[in-house]
Amino acid sequence: MKNNYIIDLKNVSKIFDDDTIAVDNFNLYVRKGEFITFLGPSGCGKSTTLRMIAGFEFPSKGEILLNGKDISNLPPNKRPINMVFQRYALFPHLDVYDNIAFGLRLKRIPVLKKDKDGNPVLKVDHKKIRELKREYSLIKRNRHLEEEVKKAKLEDLEEKINKLKTTPTQSYSYVKLSNKEIDQKVAKALKIVDLEALEDRDISTLSGGQQQRVAIARAIVNEPEILLLDEPLGALDLKMRKDMQLELKEMHQKLGITFIYVTHDQEEALTMSDTIVVMKDGVIQQIGTPKMIYDEPKNAFVADFIGESNIYNGTMIGTKKVRFLDYNFVCLDDYPLNEKVDVVVRPEDVHFVKEEKAMIKGTIVNKIFKGMNYQYTIMIGKNELMVKSTSSYEVNSLAYLSIDPDGIHIMKKDFATNVYTDAWINKNNEVMIDDRPFACNVEQLVSGGHLDEEGNVVSKDGKHKYNFNDADVVAEIPLDKIDVIDDIESEDCEVVGEIVDSIYVGDHYRYIVRTENEEDFVFVSPYTYNLNDKVGLQVKKEDIKLRLKKEVNAYEI
Amino acid sequence: MVKKVLAYSYVYLILLLMYVPILVLILFSFTNATYIGTWNGFSFDLYVSLFESEEIMVAIGNTLIIAVISAVCSTILGTLGAVGGHYLKKKSRAALENINQIPVVNAEIVMALSLVVMFVFIGNMIFGGQNLFSFWTLLAGHIVISAPFVYLNVKPKLQQMDPSLYEAALDLGCAPRQALYKVVFPEILPGIFSGFMLAITLSLDDFIVTAFTRGSGLLSGANNIETISTLVQAKIKKGPIPPEMRALTTIIFIIVLLVVIGISIYRNKGTRYKSALRKRMRERMD
Repeated sequence: MKNNYIIDLKNVSKIFDDDTIAVDNFNLYVRKGEFITFLGPSGCGKSTTLRMIAGFEFPSKGEILLNGKDISNLPPNKRPINMVFQRYALFPHLDVYDNIAFGLRLKRIPVLKKDKDGNPVLKVDHKKIRELKREYSLIKRNRHLEEEVKKAKLEDLEEKINKLKTTPTQSYSYVKLSNKEIDQKVAKALKIVDLEALEDRDISTLSGGQQQRVAIARAIVNEPEILLLDEPLGALDLKMRKDMQLELKEMHQKLGITFIYVTHDQEEALTMSDTIVVMKDGVIQQIGTPKMIYDEPKNAFVADFIGESNIYNGTMIGTKKVRFLDYNFVCLDDYPLNEKVDVVVRPEDVHFVKEEKAMIKGTIVNKIFKGMNYQYTIMIGKNELMVKSTSSYEVNSLAYLSIDPDGIHIMKKDFATNVYTDAWINKNNEVMIDDRPFACNVEQLVSGGHLDEEGNVVSKDGKHKYNFNDADVVAEIPLDKIDVIDDIESEDCEVVGEIVDSIYVGDHYRYIVRTENEEDFVFVSPYTYNLNDKVGLQVKKEDIKLRLKKEVNAYEI
Repeated sequence: MVKKVLAYSYVYLILLLMYVPILVLILFSFTNATYIGTWNGFSFDLYVSLFESEEIMVAIGNTLIIAVISAVCSTILGTLGAVGGHYLKKKSRAALENINQIPVVNAEIVMALSLVVMFVFIGNMIFGGQNLFSFWTLLAGHIVISAPFVYLNVKPKLQQMDPSLYEAALDLGCAPRQALYKVVFPEILPGIFSGFMLAITLSLDDFIVTAFTRGSGLLSGANNIETISTLVQAKIKKGPIPPEMRALTTIIFIIVLLVVIGISIYRNKGTRYKSALRKRMRERMD
């Protein structure tokens, strides 16, 4: 045994038939007994990854190792892995007891075949050969694999098959579990999920929470090495969800098996997991403990997705000194002088202080009572700052604030794409970035949707209508999709700003344009501009990618 | 209050309109008058002559044999077709559904005629001018008209089924075929059953296809196969509906009634029985 990784995903990619890349070069190992969570917005590939571990999808590239053995192309019924489905998928024609006993009744225990003298019987393993042949044809049909890799794999399999054909091995007969054993195991599972009294009930008579428990019992009764949970709490109401979170965590500690959990709820991920994997567009953004991910987000996407945060564009002005919000701050991270960076400040890391101790000054424009504390929106110049505090202050009064150095998180700018986490849609279906309207395609927020005359988006089947006026979104603009207009008076300019940074990368320049409101636009261009040049920028409608912050159902009309 | 009374009386009126003809028929099956409306006093004469008439008994026998065999065949075909179609890609599924739809919406006479043309054609081209019309052509005709209905009965059950049920079965250790038997089939069983019953009824009272595709065989021996519907048709060409038919329909109605009652009793009893069994098992073990 080289390591104690129970499951190891190596360079795993999943490309669907219509050439969409669901998971891109995924690398992850999971330790035995760990509670790991895949977290990300819908469509980020987290469920696809889980389904590949379960065996419902086979990876297009890469391999999945279970205890060091390749299981990439093994069908789900051959894997010691069980899953709790999103909508439970309980069998309605069976009662609670039979649902839980379902897996146990299918289980066969191998018993070594022996002849009269007690020596093992040797036979050619035809079953194993059939399995390998199935895998062979699967790999052969996979058009996403590179030729060389494919050839090597096929040759390897062929060799294995030929070897099996010629060498007889020990054979086994398979016996069922006895009724008594099944009954004991089911009773134990029922006890773990607190459902002893309900074993004879029909599934349709159970509440959502009870069905959830049956689904968990049905999976754990098989004593899997890994338990997969695909957003199992999504259908429960808030209070029930909180209770179940704690219970699941307790269950994990009691059972000691590995849990792999998928959710889009960041709070759920933070409460329950040992390790969180944050995903976006099929790519891992960050792997770490909940505390690490909350305190030290790797990029603006993670910071925005995990917890509430203020994200600003800043500039390093000295050793461990950063300038943002038009103020200078001391921080703990060291970056080269003049580097343009993203700064993240959590609302709870900003403190109200007396006037003489204040680092920054602003006006309170909004106050919301949140039960535990108040949430304030404070205008610092033209920027908003979200602050949480237990003490009450009046709206429109002056706020004196300070931020501790360890409350300022500095991140290297993500030069893959421009991300605007506080964008919103106005009533003309334009996206507001930096308080300026950009023409965009709101239809992309509903898959297969189209606009009607009134400016509402109609779903593909025509059954649902959505109005996205005032919807909070995250907007993304690729670096190479921003056009520069030299005449800043021109009407085509959607935004005007000053070039604050330029770097020559190979065959083109990468520029950062900062607007009056301190919003940054990063773009690449083969042409030369000078620092402090004023330029206008324009983005084509179809190049702005939007993602809703809330569920799409919230905007249905 | 008035509203409630009105609502109830409306329901009862509808029920009355539906069942009065049957009740009248049952009533007049216990008198031996040739025409309905005249009451010759209570008697079981019609029942006696029903079972004594060889002609009718042969027709009943033929009808039942054809109904059961064709219903079993079309249930198997229709169910497999629906399951296969359900897991097809979108385009192929749409094509399959359209093909299935044609016999359903098509006039039965068109179906019957085209079957005749086909059997004659096959007989001439492949079997060298042989007359193919027999029990087998009749059976094929009945399967053709009822299999699409089975498909249509099973399809919605498959659509209502949670697609992850099949995956859950695989996850718990089923091979794909086991998952089909253990999870998918029980789930669509009501659809299969209603499809089967529909196939039986379609075959029982079918006249057009039967008249066109039948040949000699079954209980009719060397004569053309006679079913209840063809027999009644032949009789009323010459005179009134044979009064024994009233006795026969009464018997059919009562059998159907008993089947429906039996099914609902069985459903309630099944679950109770199982939980009692399990309790007993546990007591024994303790």
